Amino acid sequence: MNLLQLNKIDTFKMIFRQIGGLQIILGFTMVVPLLVSLIYSEFYSALGFVLSGLICLISGFLLNKGFRSSFEPLNRHALIIAAFGWLIITTMGAIPYFLIANITPVEIAQQFGTNGANYISSLYYFKNPLHALFDSMSGFTTTGLTMAVHEPSIGKGLLFYRHFTQLLGGAGFIVLTLSLISQSSSRATFLLYNAESTGERLKSTVIETVRIIWKVYLGLTFFLFVFLVVGTRILLPEYSLADNIFDSINHAMAGMSTGGFSTLDDSIAGYHSQSMEILYLVPMIIGALSLPFYVKVIYNKQYSQIWKDMQTRSIIILFVLGSIILSFMLLLSGLVSEPFRIGVFQFVSALSTTGWQTCDVHLWDSASISFIVIFGMVIGGAFGATVGGVKIIRVLVLLKGLFWRINNYFSSDNSIKVVKFNNTRLLPEEMNKEISSAATLVFIYLIFLGLGTIIGYYTAGQGFTMKDALFESASAQGTVGLSCGITNPDMSRGLEITYFIQMWMGRLEIIPILILFRTIFLGTKPKVV
Amino acid sequence: MKILIAGDGEVGFYLAKLLEKEFHDIILIDTQKGKLALVEKNLGIATVLGDSTSYKVLKDAGVENADLLIAVTSVESVNITTCLIGKKLGAKFTIARINNLEYLVDKNTLDLHDLGIDELISPESLAAREVKYLLKSPNLTEIFNIYNKDLYMMGMRLEDDASIINKTVAESAHLLSNNSFMIVAVLRNGKTMIPTGELQLFKDDLLYFLSTDHGKDKVLEYAGKKTVQIKNILVIGGSRTGKYIALRQSKYYNIKLIEKDFEKCNYLAKLIPNVQIIYGDGSDLNLLKEERITNYDAVISVTGNSETNIFTCLMAKELGVNKTIAMVENIGLFDYSQKMGIDTLINKKMAAANFIFRHILKGRVLTHLYGVDAEIQEFIVKKNSTIIHKPIKEMNFPENAIISGLIRDGKGYITLGNFQLMADDKVFVFSLPHSSKKVISFFK
Repeated sequence: MNLLQLNKIDTFKMIFRQIGGLQIILGFTMVVPLLVSLIYSEFYSALGFVLSGLICLISGFLLNKGFRSSFEPLNRHALIIAAFGWLIITTMGAIPYFLIANITPVEIAQQFGTNGANYISSLYYFKNPLHALFDSMSGFTTTGLTMAVHEPSIGKGLLFYRHFTQLLGGAGFIVLTLSLISQSSSRATFLLYNAESTGERLKSTVIETVRIIWKVYLGLTFFLFVFLVVGTRILLPEYSLADNIFDSINHAMAGMSTGGFSTLDDSIAGYHSQSMEILYLVPMIIGALSLPFYVKVIYNKQYSQIWKDMQTRSIIILFVLGSIILSFMLLLSGLVSEPFRIGVFQFVSALSTTGWQTCDVHLWDSASISFIVIFGMVIGGAFGATVGGVKIIRVLVLLKGLFWRINNYFSSDNSIKVVKFNNTRLLPEEMNKEISSAATLVFIYLIFLGLGTIIGYYTAGQGFTMKDALFESASAQGTVGLSCGITNPDMSRGLEITYFIQMWMGRLEIIPILILFRTIFLGTKPKVV
Repeated sequence: MKILIAGDGEVGFYLAKLLEKEFHDIILIDTQKGKLALVEKNLGIATVLGDSTSYKVLKDAGVENADLLIAVTSVESVNITTCLIGKKLGAKFTIARINNLEYLVDKNTLDLHDLGIDELISPESLAAREVKYLLKSPNLTEIFNIYNKDLYMMGMRLEDDASIINKTVAESAHLLSNNSFMIVAVLRNGKTMIPTGELQLFKDDLLYFLSTDHGKDKVLEYAGKKTVQIKNILVIGGSRTGKYIALRQSKYYNIKLIEKDFEKCNYLAKLIPNVQIIYGDGSDLNLLKEERITNYDAVISVTGNSETNIFTCLMAKELGVNKTIAMVENIGLFDYSQKMGIDTLINKKMAAANFIFRHILKGRVLTHLYGVDAEIQEFIVKKNSTIIHKPIKEMNFPENAIISGLIRDGKGYITLGNFQLMADDKVFVFSLPHSSKKVISFFK
């Protein structure tokens, strides 16, 4: 087959085959929540996971076999696979929500969660497939917005599954699949890795890089688990150990992936303890730093990176400054009872794009909302971490580029105007490339943020203003997960789909989605002008 | 002593020429027939045609009983390989010219000495080091160290305002009495003289001093020079020498480097921090003016072309730059360029050759100064010698030669007339070539 004359059908055959592979892996991962359901004797949930797992495996197997004859992906297909793959994974990942909601009898569902609950189990919201899709997307993209109003009432098994999807989605599900099944190390693989993960080649081959990234990622998650168990035990001695362990596992996964789901009804505020909130700053901050940075520190013993690495340094500075500024803004507004406690926690949660919440953001004034949106959620954490947003590196590139432009005005025409960026020296050509790609992304990011805000403004319903729409849209697109209340099972379908798309775009940094749309509507032929 | 030189480039040729005066068994290896023919014709040195990394070629050249193998081709890996093979085949001492300074600095990864290379030299790096010293004392035309950080050789031109002009050396002796420096040679109109008490000093004389470390300032004082601080440097030419200068000195000075190759500019710009890289032709007067050459305290021209360097430095002098240093590879141009008013010259080949002479041929140091027809030799005072415990001025030392300094117990001293020698002193003697035989027999 002549690879240069591939038509749309061939391209999609190839993509489907790749996606089949993803589904098989997803099917196998269902074993973990299945075990958790069995431990907690939630047999209907267990059944749900068995069925979902089988559906994933069989459909994946069929796709993979059915399109066996298709060709290997080329470089230009990497981003299409990433975008489409995420959509499919999310869809398949929504099956357990939907199945479990439909097969669990009412009386059993009502036993889930806290004793004496006087509300209907939130599990039933997932009877609506759109809600199931929404939570699945929110999980895999590590956002944290949810349709499950009262989290504990969906059952331990599904609760665990939600956090587990965040862990899987955090470091990149596609690259995980690649590292498990692929032996090839083509450029296409590298582009795939680029599209959803860290983009930095740490080892000579992509596969090795991916493996080391996942090792560090899982290692840190385990560390956070131990940290949270011990921390909770010390700070809240009367909290039951079984709950403590369950919470800590889930919160470690949600924190490391900056996902922001919680096992508690009121997120971290559910502990009603200021010291617990301070404890939970740690997972968020650890999750916000880039994974390659950890590899350098842990494996290569480059401890100086902690301050030398421009991103890490900037994030730490921004964490401190932003927390202080937000606290003072909240203090000034007079609308919040404990401005410093809330300001610090919420800013860290927003900048790290985690989304654990300790207050009702709906009450905040517009200035504080604007601040947390612009300097927290839009900026996001470090490139190479599991965060959303435009990533701090892009902001640094643009800022540096701005000063570079200004300074260039003063140096002679003949001089080579080098710019120092993150310990490397970039030539004008290289810097312009960096600037243009950062600017493109930031621009398109803001466009979609604006669109989401406008749609939210018209459809959010009574009691929500422009600032709420902005906040919720930024939260979805930045895969943050803080909510001012717009996201709930009764929201308009249009807005739910909008946020769904925003989360998807935010996780993959928009461009791959646009490429996918281009493929669907215009095919894969290059445009000749 | 049998010496093999691999590589008939500039350094190889110069070394062969120098060594040929002292030792007779020298063989030059190169792959270019025409070059070798020229050497045989001009210097009368034996040559072997072929690749110096070949066993056969090295054996043909007689490596098995060579005392010294010097590999100075332009390709670093050839030099290293040649030395490794040469050592295995029996060469007693090997020297390789390198470009990658990691080999010099990082001995943990790979110590080339263990593998059989006894000494590594990088001419460009040596030239850059010379520039470093010159920038520290910009009044000097030349400076290099003779022994550790103790003894330095310095050259300086006398100008109008010096108080010692038109006086004899003896008349200015009161300024010399602190034992920290002495005059060892005077260059006047291309003629080298070894000073005696009666020698009168004139304007434009080029004086050579031997000085201890703390005597360096006193030398300046003696010659009536003010200490000048250099802050801004313009380097012209991004050759290896230029690169090393920029890399090593950017901490201490504001440096601007002009290079006319765009790719090289980009390479340097990426590599060297805190140095402004300019893309342009360093010999273009308009560019130099545009880059405000007059704001610079020193201009160092180190392009690959000696004439360009000389010309650029002359222009810079004309425009009022205080200190100019030109890299002149063509030794024939030395005399003229000094006459035309370029105060300081550097030369990679001589830097490399001097390094080899000073460090390898132990027991007889030979240093050649730019344009000076004199040499420094090193002698050890024997135990039962008659010259021990006698002030130097009472010795019957040969004419046109002067005992200028010595090393005793690892410390450097300047030896004025009242100094007494002791056994095992390592003595430095400065002499004109025709006296050197007498000097040698004096110490025997």
